[in-house]
Amino acid sequence: MAEHLLPKSSVHRWLSKLLARYAVYVPLEREKQVHWHRLEPGDLETEPDIIAPAQRRIRASEPVKSFMFQPRQRVGAFPDPLQPTEPERRVLLGIKDCDLVPLKVHDKILGEGEFKDPFYLAQRKNTILVAADCPVPEQSCFCNLLGLTPFAQTGADAALSIVDGDWLFEVEESGQELIDTAPELFSRLTGETSEVVKRDEERKTAVATLNMINARPLNPDLPGAIAARLHDEAFWRKHAETCVECFGCLMGCPTCYCFLLYDQAKENGLDRTRAWDACYEAAYARVGGGANPRAEFIKRFANRFDCKWNQFKRDHGMYACSGCGRCFKACMGKIDIRNVLGEL
Amino acid sequence: MNNPYQPIPAIILKTMDETPNIRTFVLKPEREIPFLAGQFVELTVPGHGEAPFTPSSSHFMRDTFEMTIMKVGRATGALFDLKPGDVVGARGPFGTPYPLERFAGKDIYIVGGGVGLAPLRALFLALIHESDKYGRFFLRYGARTPNDIVYRHLLPEWQKIPKVDIDLSVDVSDEKWMKKVGVVTCLMDDIPCDEKKSIAVVCGPPIMMKFVNQRLLDAGFQPENIYLSMETNMSCGVGQCRHCRLGPYLTCKDGPVLTWAQIKDIENPFV
Repeated sequence: MAEHLLPKSSVHRWLSKLLARYAVYVPLEREKQVHWHRLEPGDLETEPDIIAPAQRRIRASEPVKSFMFQPRQRVGAFPDPLQPTEPERRVLLGIKDCDLVPLKVHDKILGEGEFKDPFYLAQRKNTILVAADCPVPEQSCFCNLLGLTPFAQTGADAALSIVDGDWLFEVEESGQELIDTAPELFSRLTGETSEVVKRDEERKTAVATLNMINARPLNPDLPGAIAARLHDEAFWRKHAETCVECFGCLMGCPTCYCFLLYDQAKENGLDRTRAWDACYEAAYARVGGGANPRAEFIKRFANRFDCKWNQFKRDHGMYACSGCGRCFKACMGKIDIRNVLGEL
Repeated sequence: MNNPYQPIPAIILKTMDETPNIRTFVLKPEREIPFLAGQFVELTVPGHGEAPFTPSSSHFMRDTFEMTIMKVGRATGALFDLKPGDVVGARGPFGTPYPLERFAGKDIYIVGGGVGLAPLRALFLALIHESDKYGRFFLRYGARTPNDIVYRHLLPEWQKIPKVDIDLSVDVSDEKWMKKVGVVTCLMDDIPCDEKKSIAVVCGPPIMMKFVNQRLLDAGFQPENIYLSMETNMSCGVGQCRHCRLGPYLTCKDGPVLTWAQIKDIENPFV
C-alpha cells in the first residue's frame, strides 16, 4: 500500500482524466440526501464545489451492492441461451465502510460457492472500489456496534481521506491504475506527514463520535441470544407492532441478498430475471402445493433477525449487517433495529 | 463462465398417466444431467415458471430421465398441457444425493405416500441395481384410493425382485382392494428389520412424514438413520436465493433429503 496526495487544485483535472477512461460514479447531495451520481464531464464545470463536500457525508441512500448485484438483472433466456456481455469499466469513488464490508457478503454468496453468479462477478471485476472516510457520523449510524469503522480497512482498491481540502489516497496495487491516469498530479508520501497525522486524528474523532451515539455494545453472543428467543412471539410482536410490511428496510439494506428468479414469456420462449426479493413477503417461503412455513408475519419478522445476526454469522463468520442505518431511516413504523438488537 | 440460472432444452419423449392428476414425463435433455438419487432438477415450463422435481428414474440411465409430477399449481398445470415433442427447460442436478455408502450392508426400510413414491423410485432403482451391496429392501406405500397409486404396473414387477418386500395401503378402498385400508402407518405395526441398524427413507406429504417419522422413532430407528425429503420453496437451486431455508439448512444445497438428526431441533419442520 502506498500513500499519494492529490492537491485540492488538481482534483478536477484528475477527475476529467478518470472520465476519459472509466465510467465514474460519485456521491452527490440532492435535497439534503446523498445519492450516487454518474459523473459527466460537464459536471466538473457546473458543480465543481459539491463533489468534495459529499465525500465527507455518510453513505448514499442507495446501497453500493446495487452496482454489482443489480435490483433487476436478466440472467437467462430460453430456448436460445443468454450471451453475457462485458460490462463497462467503472470507478465508484466514495464508498463508506458500511457499504464496502457488505460486498464481502455478496462475494461469499454469489462469487465463492460451488455455483457462481457470472453476472455479479463480471460487474465486480470491472469495478474499481475507492473508499472514503466518514468523518461526520450521524445519529442513524451504528457501524461501531458491528465492528466496522468510519473508514475502510480492507476490501477497497484505494481509500480517500480529504485533509484540508487536499485528497489523500491510500492505494493498493489493484488501485494503482487510478494514480497512473495522471501520475504528474500526485505526490507520493512517505512516513508520518502532517496530512497523515491529521487524517488519523480525524478518524479517531469519528470513532469517538460513533461510540457516543452508540455507547452500549451489543450482546457478544447475539447469535445465541437470537436462537434462544426465536420462538418467543411476544418479544418479536412487541418490536414488530408498527411494521406495515413495506419492505423498505430490506430494499435499502446493503447486505440483503435474497432474490427471486422469474420468467417472462416472449415469442417462442422466455426471459429470466433475477430480482431482489424480500423475506417479509407473505409468499416468500410458500411452496407450489400451497404450504407456507412462515405464513404469519411475526415468523417472517423473527426470521430476518435469525438470518442476518445468527445464521449468517454461524455460516460465514460475519454479521449480514454493517450498521448503515438505512433500514430504520426507511422505516415508516420507526422501528430502530438497535432497540431490537439491544434487547437481545 | 457457466451460468447456473440458464436452463437447457429438454424434449418430452413420452408421457404416462399414473393417476388422474399424476403423470410421468420422459425427458431427453440436450446435454446429460448427471444426477444421483436424491438430487433434483429445476424444470422450466416456458412462459409459466420453474419448479423443482426429483427424477424418478435410475441414475444409472441419464441420457433420458423421468419425472413423475402431480398437478398442483401454475407451472405443473401448464406442464400437463404439453405433449410429446414439446420442449421444456432443465437445470441441475442440484442438492445432495442419498449417501448410499452409509446404506451399505444395511436393510433399507422405505416409506412413501402419494406422489412421494416418485423420488423414492430413483433411490429404489439405484439400490436394486447394486443389490448385493445392501441388506433387504422394504417398501411401504400408501395412497388415498386404489386409483391414486402411482407405478401400479411396476409394483408387481418390483415384488418379484429378490430381497424386496412390498406392502400397500389405501385410505379409502374400493370393492376390488384386497390389501390394508388406512394411512400408511398402518403398515408399520410390525417392522421386519433391525430398527437399531437399519436405514429408513421417507417421502410423502408433510403430515404423513410427521407421523411416519414419529412411528420410526418409537420403533427404535436412530435419528441419523431416518432420511426425510423436505419440501421447501427451492427456487434458485444453487444455495443463493434463500427461499428454501429450513432452520440452519438450505434445502436446495444441504437437502432436499435431510436426516431427522439434522432437523429435529427445528420448530415444526413438517409444515
